[in-house]
Amino acid sequence: MIAILLIALVVLGGSAGEVLTTRGMKEVGEISTLRPLELIRIAGRALSNRNFLGGVFFMAVSYFSFLGALAVADLSLVLPATSISFVISTIGAKFFLKEHISAMRWTGILLVCLGVALVLISPGKP
Amino acid sequence: MKTATVLVIAILSQAVGDVYVTRGMKAVVEISSQTAPTGGLWAKLLSYVAVGLHAARSPEVLVGTLCLIVFFALYSAALSWADLSFVLPATAFGYVLNVAAGHYLLNERVSSVRWAGAVVITFGVVFVSRSGVRGARNAIEAMGISASPDGATIVATNPGGSNAPKEVPTAEVLD
Repeated sequence: MIAILLIALVVLGGSAGEVLTTRGMKEVGEISTLRPLELIRIAGRALSNRNFLGGVFFMAVSYFSFLGALAVADLSLVLPATSISFVISTIGAKFFLKEHISAMRWTGILLVCLGVALVLISPGKP
Repeated sequence: MKTATVLVIAILSQAVGDVYVTRGMKAVVEISSQTAPTGGLWAKLLSYVAVGLHAARSPEVLVGTLCLIVFFALYSAALSWADLSFVLPATAFGYVLNVAAGHYLLNERVSSVRWAGAVVITFGVVFVSRSGVRGARNAIEAMGISASPDGATIVATNPGGSNAPKEVPTAEVLD
């Protein structure tokens, strides 16, 4: 039960983090160089971007929940179960990033939901 | 191609990181359960704090976390030039890799139902990543025609999921 709760935290924190870091990185700009000095300057710009930092905070919440979930349940259960974040992230991509979501993509998301359901009902730990 | 290469390296470091982190956390829980008293709510909360403190000092958790930071850095870099709804399904191939890692490297009991679930997730991921709507939609919009809401016809003409609008032939897009 605690594993399910922690997985929910992993998913919600991760989705909020991904939407915010995407916004942040689009503001920071494309990384089109591998020169160390230039990369450090880009990193500096990312670390002073409010959206990026907010995203990192939510990803930290997600990560500590992930560690907690792995302490009590199998990796082969926890990781596939977190793929339910697809649903949340696609909804986020549609409504916050205004990306177009096709019928095929929705079909794939339904399959992911089915897969997660199978993983969660499979015998094992927990 | 650049995106694919970066994401493959990202997925591999994620799997290695997850294996280390799982090993570390399982060991931490074992140590903590030996020292933590069994009892009420406060004892339970204290035991969680103990797990956290042990985890912060576990070399396996730290090595795993470093691998996952590599994953995160590559992932963030890819997000700077590609859409979230393309990058996310691409990295989801890692889910199956992690189930395999759990089974073969961590000796987890993976039932046939769990494998089936992982395979179904993979099929879902293939569906999602094949719906390369972004490039085709941009091409259509560039011609002054709005994309159909479902995008299914566009998907069929763009099986490679290409992000390059110029590669979508006009006749096929309008088909």
